[in-house]
Amino acid sequence: MKRLGAVVCLVLAVALVLPGCAAKDGTGGKDASDKIVIGAALCQTGIQAPLDEPALRGAQLAVDELNANGGILGKQVELVALDGKSDPVTVGNVAKQLIDDGAKAIIAPSDFDFGGPASREAQKAGIVGISPCASSPLYGSAALGDKQFTLSMWNTTMGAVTAEYAYNEKGWRTVYVITDDFIDYTKSLSKYFIVRFEELGGKVVFEDTYTQGQADVSAQLARIKALPEKPDFIYISSYMPDLALMIRTLRESGVTQPVVGGDSYDDPSLFEALGTQYGSDVYFDTHGYLSDEANPKYSEFAAAYEKKFKTAPEAVWIMPGYDVVMVIAQAMEKAGSTDGAAVAKAMETNTFDLFTGKLKWSDAASGHEPNKAAAMVSLTEGKPKFLGWVIPEKIPAP
Amino acid sequence: MIDLEFLINTLSLGSLYALLALGLVLVYGILKLVNFAYGEYIMIAGYGLYFSATVLHLPWWATMLFGVAAAVLTSYLTELAAFRPVRNKSANALIVTSFAVSIFLQNAVLILVSPRARAVQLPPIFSQTVNIAGATTPVRNLLIIGTTITVLILLSLLMKKTVLGMAMRAAADKFTTTRLMGVPANLVISAAFIISGLLAGIASIFWIGRSASVDPVTGAAPLLIAFIATVMGGMHSPTGAVVGGFVYGLLFNVLSITLPASMISYRDAFMFVIVVLFLLFRPEGIIKGGYTEERVG
Repeated sequence: MKRLGAVVCLVLAVALVLPGCAAKDGTGGKDASDKIVIGAALCQTGIQAPLDEPALRGAQLAVDELNANGGILGKQVELVALDGKSDPVTVGNVAKQLIDDGAKAIIAPSDFDFGGPASREAQKAGIVGISPCASSPLYGSAALGDKQFTLSMWNTTMGAVTAEYAYNEKGWRTVYVITDDFIDYTKSLSKYFIVRFEELGGKVVFEDTYTQGQADVSAQLARIKALPEKPDFIYISSYMPDLALMIRTLRESGVTQPVVGGDSYDDPSLFEALGTQYGSDVYFDTHGYLSDEANPKYSEFAAAYEKKFKTAPEAVWIMPGYDVVMVIAQAMEKAGSTDGAAVAKAMETNTFDLFTGKLKWSDAASGHEPNKAAAMVSLTEGKPKFLGWVIPEKIPAP
Repeated sequence: MIDLEFLINTLSLGSLYALLALGLVLVYGILKLVNFAYGEYIMIAGYGLYFSATVLHLPWWATMLFGVAAAVLTSYLTELAAFRPVRNKSANALIVTSFAVSIFLQNAVLILVSPRARAVQLPPIFSQTVNIAGATTPVRNLLIIGTTITVLILLSLLMKKTVLGMAMRAAADKFTTTRLMGVPANLVISAAFIISGLLAGIASIFWIGRSASVDPVTGAAPLLIAFIATVMGGMHSPTGAVVGGFVYGLLFNVLSITLPASMISYRDAFMFVIVVLFLLFRPEGIIKGGYTEERVG
């Protein structure tokens, strides 16, 4: 018992001392004034990590590039990252910690449910919070505050692009929709896809649901097979890792209709998991594509990435991660300061020419809606192919 | 609704769940430990498949052996390094240790491999489908049924015909008495962990085979399934675990088919209600164990 007591005391002592040290580093005297700290409250572990971890690498690359070219407003930039662990409460806590340690802007996880808490903390502290890829229309000034942004197109755009592609380009008229009720992203993506597809004149045969983590789609499969008339295609709004299992199970059981979805499909492990046998007739829209054709200057970017991380870029999510840092830098330069309100104003009023394309946000009154194009991608025998940048003819109201 | 496809689905799902539950109950029977690191053996087997194929470039049958061996080794090593030192402490110490092992293994792959999912190459036969009397089904579903039957026969032979098996059964009933008879505790417990790891490895091939990818938290879902199946079937005998696995598979499929689409998200809630009812009205599970006694130590 005595030993246990000693161990507990030791653990407590370490726990008390460590954050103390960390806090000292962040606010320590003159250091604070000659560098600009950007806080990344991204999720380096857990279900959100496949999106956030590459984004963090992209952000690190951008910071290196900024510092090599003189930093922001003549000051060096420091990126401090704490793991949000794919837990909304932890994300909020680490964002608060980063702000206490002197962060002038916060990079929030790429989803409303996971990233929202970081943006709320940023808003509370009066600084800009921006997510690389949160695509829920809730991610903006209306729900989170006038200094909060997302670099991603909203699901209104993401859903409309594939709806128009299916209806206009492919001539498909009927769809079976499976919506994962996991997070706001998966739910709202289906919603806007359906709105636009029905508006065009398409017919939704059935709206089915799925829950991330169930690891079984036998119920949905049975219903698809029991349909008197087969739909032209299947729209699945879900998330990795279960997405791979869903598409594989459908294909294995003889469902050959094309499968369409959003940016959660943009994961190399999904392409590999489907392989040459099942990785065909899959279409989705996303934030970019790892090629010069889609993003001029990609080769340069890839070379820099490979030099820093000793591995080739493997996921598209590094590009928005790179761009959020660049957008923060450009906005701070334009504002001439790191003041949250001034930076947010600069973000609202300027058009940004970024690595993933041109971007213009609407003002705070209309929600900071991002005006951005989507990259349409198809999958054939497990190999992705870039089909082009698309701005939908009509975007549903959020 | 009861057609051939339903039957095959239920049998294959039940077989998979029975294997999962069996691995969990073997250790519980002897140590009275619900091993929460059990899911990680499944995850490690998945990474074994991934590594042997992408780094070592082994043929598919060798990757399977490698994956199963990885699970067996992990299970044995965790017994040696983590569970043996605390075995004579309280039951709570053992449970907390199993959580620690689970977190350690998850974070190890997170740091050493990647938080992102890794695709696993599967043998061609895993991606083939057959048509039996109008029902299209993956060959994998038939393989798992055959594998489970084989494993069950071999395991019951081991338990009934060998000295080790008899010692393990005796230890599950009355551990102290068994030790007094001269059976070495370390041997019996190590054997239980090794067999548990073996079952986890075999089940892992089929679990991973459905999505063809593995990530650091792959083990969470099968652990939960194994746990619920053993609670329903009975914690005190391997038979109970197998029965629990098949009952779980049956209930799951029946709910999948009978629940309307708007309710399908609540399928897990219905499953848990059934588990709660079991705990209330038949806490010993469907199959009652023979003797039960408190854990040694």
